[in-house]
Amino acid sequence: MKIQTLGLASLCVILASCGGADTESAEYRGDEELPNGMTISEMIETRQDGLEDVGGSFKTISDELKKGDPNVADIQTAAANVEAHSQEIGDWFPEGTGADSGVETEALDSIWEDPEGFEAAITKFETAAGELNTAAQSGDVEAIQAAFETAGGTCKNCHDSYRADDD
Amino acid sequence: MTTPAKDVLVWDWTIRLFHWVTVGLIPALWWTAEEGHMAWHARLGLTLLGLLVFRLYWGVFGSPTARFSSFVKGPSAILAYARSSLRRPYVPSTGHNPLGALSVVALLGLLVAQVSFGLFAVDVDGLESGPLSSLVDFKTGRQFAEWHEFTFELLLWMIGLHVLAVLGYWLVLKTNLVRPMVTGRRPAETATPETATRNGVSLPRLVIGVALAGLPVFAVQL
Repeated sequence: MKIQTLGLASLCVILASCGGADTESAEYRGDEELPNGMTISEMIETRQDGLEDVGGSFKTISDELKKGDPNVADIQTAAANVEAHSQEIGDWFPEGTGADSGVETEALDSIWEDPEGFEAAITKFETAAGELNTAAQSGDVEAIQAAFETAGGTCKNCHDSYRADDD
Repeated sequence: MTTPAKDVLVWDWTIRLFHWVTVGLIPALWWTAEEGHMAWHARLGLTLLGLLVFRLYWGVFGSPTARFSSFVKGPSAILAYARSSLRRPYVPSTGHNPLGALSVVALLGLLVAQVSFGLFAVDVDGLESGPLSSLVDFKTGRQFAEWHEFTFELLLWMIGLHVLAVLGYWLVLKTNLVRPMVTGRRPAETATPETATRNGVSLPRLVIGVALAGLPVFAVQL
């Protein structure tokens, strides 16, 4: 019986620790205007849509590469889209668009605390996205596969340090 | 294997193999996902898919204690069992008792949901994806991934409850449920009269079940 009580007690502790709120919600400032003329919430929405679009393009390429006979035209469209977004991404994280704006975002404060590291990560992605698009336009599936893996690595590289874990 | 004649077989070897391989697969699946070994995560997930298909088939065509019809009972049988479990000495059921059956159904249902969601899931970067994810777009795939995470949490709670219940049977009802799940047998004196039923494995049915289990595993990879 004692062991059972112990089990129940530890279950309660686990329950309690799960329930605790881990972040204080900041005061909402999503309507404030940024120097680029967008509001904070508009900026966050734009970059989320953009990054989601990059994710969608990556999925298209990944889906095609898994097939025995990939549709190169689809890969080309997707890779061009990734490269286009990679040119914009540097403008997607102006100061003030972190979680302390009160708008829901997974962008970590480390983006603005370590601007050089963040910029280096973006540059890696830009370069890899350019190379992916070049490989895609060549139509060489093996080269696309290699460039895709490199580009994917640059997503993870940046996300590991500058985006909150989504789980 | 020689066993005393008074022991009765309550779980055939396929049931026990299914149980313990699943016990091993769940932490392995969690770990491979956590560490990003997604190729292995997919292989192990497909293994679990095959096991689940077999278990569902065995629930209809398998040995008596494996069959859903033998242990899935209505509320009145569950209540009657709950009442009888208060009487001493406690006499364990031969297979799943009507209350434990709820846990079996919940665990199997959650595992089926978990594996099914995983087939369509896409990671946040669009880099890793389940074998059927090309059938859905990125946003839908992300939705599946979120369900995949949510069902895993439910599964953890259900496993916790399952382990606590087994512990309760051991400590309160003085019934060891782990040993029969390992050896397949329990002493005859603690078994109810219907234990005369044979719980052996029919070879032809086993072959059909293994073939059925293999089908979806290969189909989703085409």
